[in-house]
Amino acid sequence: MRKLKAMTAMLSWMLLASPALASSVCATDDLAKEICLEHPAKRIAALSPGATELVWAAGAGDQVVAVVAYSDYPPAAREVASVGSHTRIDMERLLELQPDLVVGWVTGNPTEQLATLKNMDVPVFSIEPRSFEAVSHTIERISTLAGTEAEGFAEAERFRRGIADLQEVYARADPVPVFYQVWDEPLMTVNSQHLIGEMIELCGGDNVFGQLARLVPRISAEAVIAANPEAILAGGMGEENRHWLTRWQAFPGITATERNNLFFIPPSLVQRPTPRMLEGTQLFCEKLEVARGRRP
Amino acid sequence: MIRPIALPVAVLSVASLLAMVMSVGIGSVAIAPADVLSVFLGEGSNLHRTLILDLRLPRTLAAFATGGLLAVAGALMQVLLRNPLADPYVLGLSGGAAVGALLAMLAGLGGAVISGSAFAGAMLATVMVFGLAHGTGSWTPSRLLLTGVVVAAGWGAVITLILAISPARELPGMLYWLMGDVSYARAPWHGLGLLVVVCALVVPLGRSLNVLARGPMQAAALGISVRPLEWLIYVLASLLTATAVTMAGSIGFVGLVVPHMLRLVLGNDQRLILPACALAGGTLLVLADTLARVVIAPEQLPVGVITALLGVPTFLYLLYRSR
Repeated sequence: MRKLKAMTAMLSWMLLASPALASSVCATDDLAKEICLEHPAKRIAALSPGATELVWAAGAGDQVVAVVAYSDYPPAAREVASVGSHTRIDMERLLELQPDLVVGWVTGNPTEQLATLKNMDVPVFSIEPRSFEAVSHTIERISTLAGTEAEGFAEAERFRRGIADLQEVYARADPVPVFYQVWDEPLMTVNSQHLIGEMIELCGGDNVFGQLARLVPRISAEAVIAANPEAILAGGMGEENRHWLTRWQAFPGITATERNNLFFIPPSLVQRPTPRMLEGTQLFCEKLEVARGRRP
Repeated sequence: MIRPIALPVAVLSVASLLAMVMSVGIGSVAIAPADVLSVFLGEGSNLHRTLILDLRLPRTLAAFATGGLLAVAGALMQVLLRNPLADPYVLGLSGGAAVGALLAMLAGLGGAVISGSAFAGAMLATVMVFGLAHGTGSWTPSRLLLTGVVVAAGWGAVITLILAISPARELPGMLYWLMGDVSYARAPWHGLGLLVVVCALVVPLGRSLNVLARGPMQAAALGISVRPLEWLIYVLASLLTATAVTMAGSIGFVGLVVPHMLRLVLGNDQRLILPACALAGGTLLVLADTLARVVIAPEQLPVGVITALLGVPTFLYLLYRSR
């Protein structure tokens, strides 16, 4: 299936790259809407930190003219003009920069503001990557619209292959009951539908809250103790802060605490659907491997 | 009798016009006054035309309409209940609208459905408060007010519940809606239209409203059919609030403070207060929204924060001085 997708992607790339169609580029966004540009985009606005990373991954970083708050990766993105936050966009400033492609976020940007842009004939490419494959596919589609297919498709393939390699390594690994902590107060985790849930599964983890109905469920500390995970992984406020893990040290009854399997994972490596997830997944898998090694 | 009404209304009209000119002229992108003028003369660059005609002007008009609607609704409620605390917020109308809007957002529905649902919520709250306050006997203003306050507290609990169970990604939108925000407002025309129609309708009733403000017994003794008038005021105030809320979310405070400020300065003649409320409420919200857009641009603030920060000290000062 994956190979087939890669092949069709390559095929469409070859078609698009052929001289006859070179002037106009098209791609279908995550709202199933086809976006066609007469010329590859030269002035791109990325309306979420994740979109910014994906545009850079697609090889179109030099074409970015606008980003939003917290677009901190790659470091070059900090130099680009900000047009507000992803929840409230400063429309004036955005339009002043005259973008010829806006990469929007389906569930993050206000629908009204994206609709206003569309009404003004500004092309909006809405993204919502919900799986590893979707990350690659999004990079490919953005690179098509930006006219940077060579770099974009290579990066998408690097990510795809990296994930496939990890999958192969951990396919037969012993399951480790895992609790992933997204937020501290209130205590939040992810279910198996979430991209992080996919990450846990790939590493041979068994998400103790995978069966809950909501994508990002709010849970109690009691539920965590009752679920008795063998490893607890958490992000935190900022990239270094291990504070969220200390609360679990008060409960030596949890297997994870007993064996000191409380691991910090930098949140930006796992919580943004971007190629950096490969690094995050690798780290995630290594931590679970450490947990396996500490079994009596 | 014409002149004492005409002067304040003229002054407020000029003030609101100035506020609108300022709002259209100021934004996070600097446009020279000459360029703004040329846009209105049908010239100007494409970018300037888009910024002014598609973004700033509709938003300014929406802010004006919302502020005017809320202030008039507040003034009507205060006459009806003969209680200075009455405003759409206190009576639970905004709460009902908020629950309607948040439920639509929770269900993942967009734009027009959220507005419709908020409108339905406000009307439901109206019927509920009025029906419950009526009960088996006749209703009194204090009973209506108490019912409204308790129902508002109930809506507050439901809002908290919805916020607690909502997916994290819906929360920013919900919070901004609750804080009041003109940036999502689309067509301002129905709001402006309603404002004009209601003002044209209630200003001729001003004399009756003045009598009613002194108490239903006196009003009845003076030959005014109290019950139909009270119903009319209540329905109008609810309609105004519901429309305002569907345009810009729940913006508190305008309905309470603007009528009181004007009464402190202009006296309590409804023939003057109601049109003055429409103008002053609109002006306040236009100014507040201009600030909300530019204070920490490119980040944007919810306008409700600014109305409270501007209005509270002004109101307290007027109140303090009037003693």
